[in-house]
Amino acid sequence: MRLILAAAFAAIPVLAIAQDNSVEQDALKARQGYMVAISANMGPLAAMAKGDMEYNEEQAVFHASNLAALGNYEVEMHFLPGTAQGELEGSHALAKTWDNLDDVRAKHDDFKVAAAAAPEGVKGGQAQVGAVVQSLGGTCKACHDNYRAK
Amino acid sequence: MTVSDPVREKLWDPALRAFHWLLAFFVIAAWVLGKFGPANMWLHFWCGYAVAGLLVFRLVWGFVGPKPARFSHFLTGPGKMLRYARGMFRRVPSYWPGHNPLGALSVIAMLLVLAAQVGSGLVSDPDDFINIGPLAGQVSRATSRAAVGWHNLGAVVILLLVVLHVGMILFYRLWKREDLVRPMLTGWKLVRRDD
Repeated sequence: MRLILAAAFAAIPVLAIAQDNSVEQDALKARQGYMVAISANMGPLAAMAKGDMEYNEEQAVFHASNLAALGNYEVEMHFLPGTAQGELEGSHALAKTWDNLDDVRAKHDDFKVAAAAAPEGVKGGQAQVGAVVQSLGGTCKACHDNYRAK
Repeated sequence: MTVSDPVREKLWDPALRAFHWLLAFFVIAAWVLGKFGPANMWLHFWCGYAVAGLLVFRLVWGFVGPKPARFSHFLTGPGKMLRYARGMFRRVPSYWPGHNPLGALSVIAMLLVLAAQVGSGLVSDPDDFINIGPLAGQVSRATSRAAVGWHNLGAVVILLLVVLHVGMILFYRLWKREDLVRPMLTGWKLVRRDD
C-alpha cells in the first residue's frame, strides 16, 4: 500500500511534465514558432521596404530565401484537433479553422507561391522589396482576418 | 404652458452640416474598406485620419460653435431626458430646436466610440507587415495586438450606432412625420421654443 502511494505521488510530477509536452502543446509551439520564424524574416524586409533599414540585396535575398523555404514547409500538420483557442491555453487559432482546413491550406499555398517568388523579386533595389512585402503581407492578412482570434 | 406655433429657423450652421456629411462619408468608407477592401489598407488609414480631423473639429465646435452645436446647449440631465422620452412616441413632430435630450446621448456615444476607434486603429499591429498603425511602435507588443481586437469590436459598435441613428431618423419620418434629413442638408428646420 505504502509503495503504491509512493509511486502515485512520484508519478504526479511526471504526469505534470507529460502535460506540458502533450502532442497538442507541441503542435501549438511548432506552429507559433513557424509564425515567429516568418516574422523574423519578414521584419527586415518590411524595414527595408519602409526605408527604416538600408537596402542590401544580399541580405534581402537571404531573408527572402528563408521565407521561400518556410513557404514550402507544410505547417498544416501542426493544426491538430483540440488545439483551438479555448481548447488549449495560448492558442489564438479560431475553432472555425478546423471547419475550413481546405481554405486554410489554399491560403497557405498563396503564401508559398508569393514566398517562392521572393528571392528573385527582392533583387534590384528597395522598390522591389516593397512589392514583395506587399504580396507576402497580403497573404498573412488573408488568413489572420479569418482564422486568427482578434 | 402656452403652445406656440412652430417657426422655420436656420438651425444647423454650414460647418456643422459639412462635418456631419463628411463624417458619414468617411466612416462608411472606412468601415466598408476595413471589411471588404484590398489587402493594402492605405485608403482605410486615410479615411481614419479624416475621421480624426473631423472629430477634432467637432470637439472645438462643441465649445466655440453656434449655440445648437455646443455641448452645453444639448447635454442635459436625466430629468429632461426622461421627460422627452415619455412624449417621444406621440405621433407629432418634435419641433426640437437642435439635438433633443435623448439624441444628445447618441451624439456623445458616437463621438466617443469613433475617437476610441481612431485610437485603437493608430496603435494596431495585425502582424501582416503592411497594415501597421502609425503609432503601433509607441505601445507594447501586447497592446498593439490587443488593439486589433478592440478595433474589430469597435466596428461592430459603430455599425449598431449607425443602424440606431438611421432607424431613429426613419422613426421620426414615418411615425412622427418629421423630416430630420432636410434640415441637416439645408440648415432650416421647423422648431418650437416654449421655454
